[in-house]
Amino acid sequence: MEVLKNLPEMDLMRSEKMTSVQLIIPVESAHRAVSYLGELGLLQFRDLNDDKSPFQRTFVNQVKRCAEMSRKLRFFKDQINKAGLLSSALPTMQPDIDLEALETQLAEHEHELIEMNANSEKLQQTYNEFLEFKMVLQKAGVFLVSGNKSYETTEGIELDDNVYPSDYPESASLLEQATHSGPSNPSGLRFICGIIPKSKILLFERMLFRATRGNLLFNQAPADDLIMDAVSSEMVEKTVFVVFFSGEQARTKILKICEAFGANCYPVPEDFTKQTQITQEVLSRLSELETTLDVGIRHRNAALHTIGFHLTIWMTMVKREKAVFDTLNMLNFDVTKKCLVGEGWCPIFAKPQIQEALQRATFDSNSQVGIIFHVMDAVESPPTYFRTNAFTNAYQEIVDAYGVAKYQEANPAVYTVITFPFLFAVMFGDWGHGICLLIGALILIAREGKLSSQKLGSFMEMLFGGRYVLLLMSLFSIYCGLIYNEFFSVPYHIFGASAYKCRDKSCSDAYTVGLIKYRDAYPFGVDPSWRGSRSELPFLNSLKMKMSILFGVAQMNLGIMISYLNSIFFNNSLDIRYQFVPQMIFLNSLFGYLSLLIIIKWCTGSQADLYHVMIYMFLSPFDDLGENELFWGQRPLQILLLLSALVAVPWMLFPKPFILRKQHTERFQGRAYGILRSTEMDTDSEPGSARQHVEEFNFSEVFVHQMIHSIEFVLGSVSNTASYLRLWALSLAHSELSTVFYEKVLLLAWGYENILIRLVGLAVFAFATAFILLMMETLSAFLHALRLHWVEFQNKFYGGDGYKFKPFSFAAIADDED
Amino acid sequence: MGFILTTLHFFVIGIIASFCTRICCNKGPSANLFHFTLVITATVCCWMMWAIVYLAQMNPLIVPILSEGE
Repeated sequence: MEVLKNLPEMDLMRSEKMTSVQLIIPVESAHRAVSYLGELGLLQFRDLNDDKSPFQRTFVNQVKRCAEMSRKLRFFKDQINKAGLLSSALPTMQPDIDLEALETQLAEHEHELIEMNANSEKLQQTYNEFLEFKMVLQKAGVFLVSGNKSYETTEGIELDDNVYPSDYPESASLLEQATHSGPSNPSGLRFICGIIPKSKILLFERMLFRATRGNLLFNQAPADDLIMDAVSSEMVEKTVFVVFFSGEQARTKILKICEAFGANCYPVPEDFTKQTQITQEVLSRLSELETTLDVGIRHRNAALHTIGFHLTIWMTMVKREKAVFDTLNMLNFDVTKKCLVGEGWCPIFAKPQIQEALQRATFDSNSQVGIIFHVMDAVESPPTYFRTNAFTNAYQEIVDAYGVAKYQEANPAVYTVITFPFLFAVMFGDWGHGICLLIGALILIAREGKLSSQKLGSFMEMLFGGRYVLLLMSLFSIYCGLIYNEFFSVPYHIFGASAYKCRDKSCSDAYTVGLIKYRDAYPFGVDPSWRGSRSELPFLNSLKMKMSILFGVAQMNLGIMISYLNSIFFNNSLDIRYQFVPQMIFLNSLFGYLSLLIIIKWCTGSQADLYHVMIYMFLSPFDDLGENELFWGQRPLQILLLLSALVAVPWMLFPKPFILRKQHTERFQGRAYGILRSTEMDTDSEPGSARQHVEEFNFSEVFVHQMIHSIEFVLGSVSNTASYLRLWALSLAHSELSTVFYEKVLLLAWGYENILIRLVGLAVFAFATAFILLMMETLSAFLHALRLHWVEFQNKFYGGDGYKFKPFSFAAIADDED
Repeated sequence: MGFILTTLHFFVIGIIASFCTRICCNKGPSANLFHFTLVITATVCCWMMWAIVYLAQMNPLIVPILSEGE
């Protein structure tokens, strides 16, 4: 007992010892102190201003300014991405830039960029209009020329040719020109030219017909190029149209319809020479605008380029500052308003480092008063902190995914490192597939440096994070594959000749009665003679089922032993006497006994039926065993074990609540302080006399809790043991799938002489192996091994209701944002 | 006999692996204990797997019956 109390410490077994601390920081060194603590990343601040809204906190203005700055930085990043520039960061670290200076700089840049963007927009709009005008001129000119000719010959009514003004003032939109340039002559045939997106042209035409009651002539021609549509800002096909009509009312109607449909009307003169003149002018304006736009874009890109150099540095700085102010908001001003008071958690080993950082902050900010840092008592339980390295981190995350360990309880990750890949391998056992997984894992580990700095997709990130898990999984898979003797489902005689041979030289009854065992058992693994035989499945099923039970009982016993270690650590002898002992007795007298029977049956080769042995042990324990007798003294032993199991159930159910009640009354009646031998409190909470909270002891609640716990254990022992049979099930599935792919795909295709069929068969085999066996089966076995750990192993001892240690750390913020 | 001999082999391999781990990465007593636990767990798991399969084949109740077409 004493030995167990003084067990040497093991690295990942229990979480780091934490202490609750209080900091008293003078105001002038507060910012710097928090920054240095952020760089260190070992102190978790408690939020003392929890009840205040974000706007009531002290440093809300600074936080707002930081948020504004990060908005500007995001805007810059968007602009850079839109312009398609690659962001290149300056390799040199800039000296500490003042936040105020940065703010003004950012405001300037933003203003500049917005202005440049607005100018570009306007220029682009004008450019588009001129482009459309050019197209209208090109296409409509054809219609008008023909129409002009026909009208001149028939009626000689002059068509207005002052449809366009002689020069184009830049400010006025061309659409206004069209509306103003109405003919002075109210009667006579007039026309309107314009351009409209192709998708709307049919509806537009129909609408015009209805509006003018059919008194119009509508001509259209598609434009040659795609044009940028101002409304949807994407390239669409447009159609040029010309509408001939007569009358003022028709004109207003048509103009309104044009506006409604988003058709842009442009003034096109009828006269051919004037048309060419205007076309020339438009073309020259277009080229001018193009050059102007180009210059503008280049100017903007240069500005963005300079911004892009510093962008990452600025973003990190702003993020850090915001984090620092958020943390400062968690602190309280003290009475004199000259100091900030903060509370938090830190690991005990980190105290010297934190003190050193605080001293540095005091020195660097030229403060007269030092920062006070002392240990404080806390009511709540400390956070859980495990110091993991790259190898153990993945396993700790697997365990944490189910529940973070309570402070200083035993960490299942210690055993999970080995048992999880091992149980995976039991379900996956094939050394050919194991080698494929090993190659994958080694590739991931070899390119560790490159892949860790890249940004990976979510699937690749998970795969990369679990590379060491994958490595162990593959190594154990190779081992289990050698034991199951399966290389892509093919057995080999690696460890010597088979133990079975034909009964006589002719092997005549090999297909009826079978081979005969003439030597000792095959030295390592499953005998290769079994593969392909008719009695393969009965043999392997029996083997794997019994193997699953043995592994299950072993792992569950390990779980109960860990709960014993926990009880010792927390000085909880009540749990040892009334929980650990009856649990061990119950589990082992039933399922430990079953495991023993399995081993004895294997060793003696008896023909006893273990199902019947177990069933009759319960149904008729006093009867004669007959041919189910495996060893001498089996009947009295079975009776004894049955009685022990029956006794163990009330043993784990009844005593504990009553004793707890007795302890509670003793403690809080002030008597028998000295007689108390065991307490229910954790050893590292505050001394009881200082803050005595008189809890209500609800006996019925405790009793029901204990009853649930006991029933869960008793029924769970049956269901959990059966749950381990999934080891058998998945291993059978893997083996059968592998056999099917090998025999029915590869061998079938190889039987043909045709090289093409062989290649196709090989390809199908490769694809099926890669996707179904390597990916799907890996995920499936991974999941089931995970479930076995989370439920069947951990419910024997794991509390899992702690919370994780989240220190204030700049590195963590950088990870978060990414 | 074969069983005990191979069990001894596993035991020796476990000891050798613990020594190798101690020599390769000696990072303080608590870390060493952790590595030792890992090696022992792995050895025990591997031994159990081998032992179960070996014991099951020592005195089998059925023999391989070849199927036609082999």
